[in-house]
Amino acid sequence: MRGTPASLFLMLFAVFAPLSLLSFGGGNVVIADIAHQSIAVQHWTSDRDFADLFALSRAAPGPGSMLCALIGWKVAGIAGALVATVAFYLPSSLLLFIIAKIWGRWRGATWHLAVERGMAPIAAGLLLAGGIAVLRASPAGPVVWVAAGVATAALLRWPRMHPVPLLLASGAVFGLIDLLR
Amino acid sequence: MSQGREPAVAYVSLAAIFFAFLRLGCTSFGGGTAGWVYREIVQRRGWIDEQAFLPDLTIGQGMPGSNGVNMAILVGRRLKGGAGAFVAPFAMLAGPFAMILVIGVIYGRMGDHRTVHAVLDGVAAAVVGLSFSTGITVIARGAAEWSSIAIAALTVLCVGVLGWPILPVVLGLAPVSIGIVFARGR
Repeated sequence: MRGTPASLFLMLFAVFAPLSLLSFGGGNVVIADIAHQSIAVQHWTSDRDFADLFALSRAAPGPGSMLCALIGWKVAGIAGALVATVAFYLPSSLLLFIIAKIWGRWRGATWHLAVERGMAPIAAGLLLAGGIAVLRASPAGPVVWVAAGVATAALLRWPRMHPVPLLLASGAVFGLIDLLR
Repeated sequence: MSQGREPAVAYVSLAAIFFAFLRLGCTSFGGGTAGWVYREIVQRRGWIDEQAFLPDLTIGQGMPGSNGVNMAILVGRRLKGGAGAFVAPFAMLAGPFAMILVIGVIYGRMGDHRTVHAVLDGVAAAVVGLSFSTGITVIARGAAEWSSIAIAALTVLCVGVLGWPILPVVLGLAPVSIGIVFARGR
């Protein structure tokens, strides 16, 4: 791997650790910020690379937020992948561990329910925004918007459908169209 | 919440927890890892029952962090205290971490092929469909509450369309959204 100054690891940590604590509703809700930071702010990846890494992270098993590991790897090799992964999972995990110890006392409190229900639409909005960020980063243009729309409709119509065959089918269709061009 | 009866938690060794979550991590394709934890630990192995799992699920989904990792921490903690809370998420992430690096290296070798980009674009589009449908389902579940639709729409506008960073948007909207729910609850 190329020389990797410590400042690069520091930046990886500084970008991913705050997002860890902001990922209310799951790792996917901060995708928009990960895209923005990786492409426009830090210049870690091009649009093309980000779109590819995003897809790769979903074709692999495990939490979708393993995208962080791929971006860290792109920036600073295996050590970068480790730093980004730890930065993205450790802060939220520590917070959760502490909260889990004292949460029981609050259960059922009005404000506790209000926090839970109040955060839900924001998490939903962030999910939609993250999808938009990915589509905007994709250099393939309008076709990915159309395909995403079709996938959305299919999943809303058949909510119990396993997503993996859908991902593979969509990838296969795009690949075939490309080969036939 | 049903009180009185103690939730059932099985006695399992730390090694068993490690291997169960290692397996879980390596097989949980397509995201939604919290659902995979449920299928593997509650349904298949019966290590904890629903009564113990569901309250944990509320916390795991409500707190920041990957839902799957959060569930691993909470379930590990129930099974084996602090050691379980460390081992379970570690094991769950170890496999995918190794695999994604292998995938990354392969991509690095052949990533500049046009068809590879096209296939990945197709996969990404379907994944976005997954995010969209989840987001829409969540909004629809808070059904017909104009306020939650407005909050979600504002979030999409600020973050998705205007490209603002998440932190100020969440800090600005969270108190408003929570306040509205709180006020209605009285």
